[in-house]
Amino acid sequence: MEAKRELQFESPSFSKRLKGMLGVDFYRLFHTPMFYIFLAIAAIIPAMVSAMTMMPDQNGNTMEPLYSNVWQIIAASEPLYVINSIADYANMNMVFIFGGIMVSIFIGHDYKSGYVKQLFTTHAKKQDYMMSKSVVCAFAMACMCITYLIGGVAGGMLAGYSLEVNVGSLILAILGKMIMSLGWASLYTFLNIIFRRYFGVSIASSFFFGTGILIIGVAAVVENLSLPASFLNIFLYGSSVNACLVSNVGTLLICIAVSVAWAIIYNVLGTRILTRSDVY
Amino acid sequence: MNAIEIRNLSKSFRGMYAVDNLNMTVPVGAIYGFIGENGSGKSTTEKLICGHLVPDDGEIKLFGRDYTDAGVRVRVGALIEDPGCFPGSSVYQNLMMQAINLGIENRDEEIRRVLQIVRMEDSANIKFKSCSLGMKQRIGIAMALLGDPALLILDEPINGLDTDGMRIMREILVDITKNYGCTVLISSHILGELEKIATHYGIIRQGKMITELSADEMDARAQIFVSLRTKDMQGAKALLAAKFSDVREEEEYIHVYDVDDTAAIVDYLMKNGHVVSEIKKNKIGLEEYYIELMSQKEGK
Repeated sequence: MEAKRELQFESPSFSKRLKGMLGVDFYRLFHTPMFYIFLAIAAIIPAMVSAMTMMPDQNGNTMEPLYSNVWQIIAASEPLYVINSIADYANMNMVFIFGGIMVSIFIGHDYKSGYVKQLFTTHAKKQDYMMSKSVVCAFAMACMCITYLIGGVAGGMLAGYSLEVNVGSLILAILGKMIMSLGWASLYTFLNIIFRRYFGVSIASSFFFGTGILIIGVAAVVENLSLPASFLNIFLYGSSVNACLVSNVGTLLICIAVSVAWAIIYNVLGTRILTRSDVY
Repeated sequence: MNAIEIRNLSKSFRGMYAVDNLNMTVPVGAIYGFIGENGSGKSTTEKLICGHLVPDDGEIKLFGRDYTDAGVRVRVGALIEDPGCFPGSSVYQNLMMQAINLGIENRDEEIRRVLQIVRMEDSANIKFKSCSLGMKQRIGIAMALLGDPALLILDEPINGLDTDGMRIMREILVDITKNYGCTVLISSHILGELEKIATHYGIIRQGKMITELSADEMDARAQIFVSLRTKDMQGAKALLAAKFSDVREEEEYIHVYDVDDTAAIVDYLMKNGHVVSEIKKNKIGLEEYYIELMSQKEGK
């Protein structure tokens, strides 16, 4: 060979590896329309929900408003683990459903395009992939929470709802839900790793978990067993519901603990799956 | 030190071995032609080296280190099956993502450098989905070249390319090994093209390595012969057999083996009253060697 070089192999540090993977995921996020479409969806849906409930029905009668207060579009008045009406459900927690679909598309494109081969060729440590996807998707969901807030408030104000609220609790509830994005993003990343070869199943599973159907079932059991409802806060959906308009610092701390704990669990499980099975 | 050293590597899918106790040695700085029929285990071996698949058994070492070592893997570039680019993003954006992934500091400069190597300086802003097959293959090479790779793993990079595309790809590969000191593992069905650039060969069949040899060893095995036709084939054959040790009549030609002086043969035949209507110099090369080897293995 005419140009022999000295071969040196310096192992990149964990932070350097993660920085590279995060960098590429953030670059992708900001350079693809999908992210902006989901931000718009997150803003439009609450605005539509607010506006539609004020529209007259076929007989010309104005429908019963879903909410009495603008901020109920953002978070429920109290923790409602078992929902009784669509109004109980239609708050910022919906972001976690849209977010699940977004994560599925984001990770699905990695596999569909074959780019994941480049990532796994140069990143021997699979935890880099899990962590990066969880963090970037959590960021995207947190951004969707903000656009949801803007859309929800705008829609609620147009619908003429009251703006009266305990500002401190409201801020804690919003922060709590934004923090929960990390746990949810990790769950969706994990689901997408399991179903990485089946794009449709990935989306369906993300939607299924995002709706909180499982936890609603658990809630019913808890109720029958006379266990305290706060027991449900150990789950992602439970903590997300718990971040409501009567939130306090304790609520926020629970959100942080639960979100981080589940993020770690899902990252460890996802990394194990990627390490022990064929990735592409 | 070898760039790739594989010992007793096995990988099965649903009980069927795609790679079966494979051994492989790729010296540093080599262009290693990895040859085998469809389904012989080439791509599976390459995916195993890149960490896309988990082996059932065996050992893979890259530059003397375990293949899961982050330090060595960050110096591996690969083009396996397709370039792995986002179709809606431009060539530049795709390269930028890989440059960020690799933690390259002067990203723009590095992207311009690899685009220049693959002769696509003017195509940076084209969307990947608008590129031709040849361009896509070159983008794949450019992606693999980012970040000063020590090892390139290329799976069928010349498939589907036209003659000019193949020539460009050939020049690129020779350039990167000579000027950048890369080791290249390249699989291809187009043996004629591979023969022009490879310094080493590995022939795989049914997941097992049949043989590994250097280009020099291949050359030593290569047999030179002259093919010719005359009006009186039997008479000419008898005449040539009297002078040369290995003369055969095959497929309507007389083949005179281990001889490359066509002028001397023409002269000899003319002096003995035979007019040569057609004559050409031949070499039993990689393709013929491969076919012969496969025939032997199939017991034909």
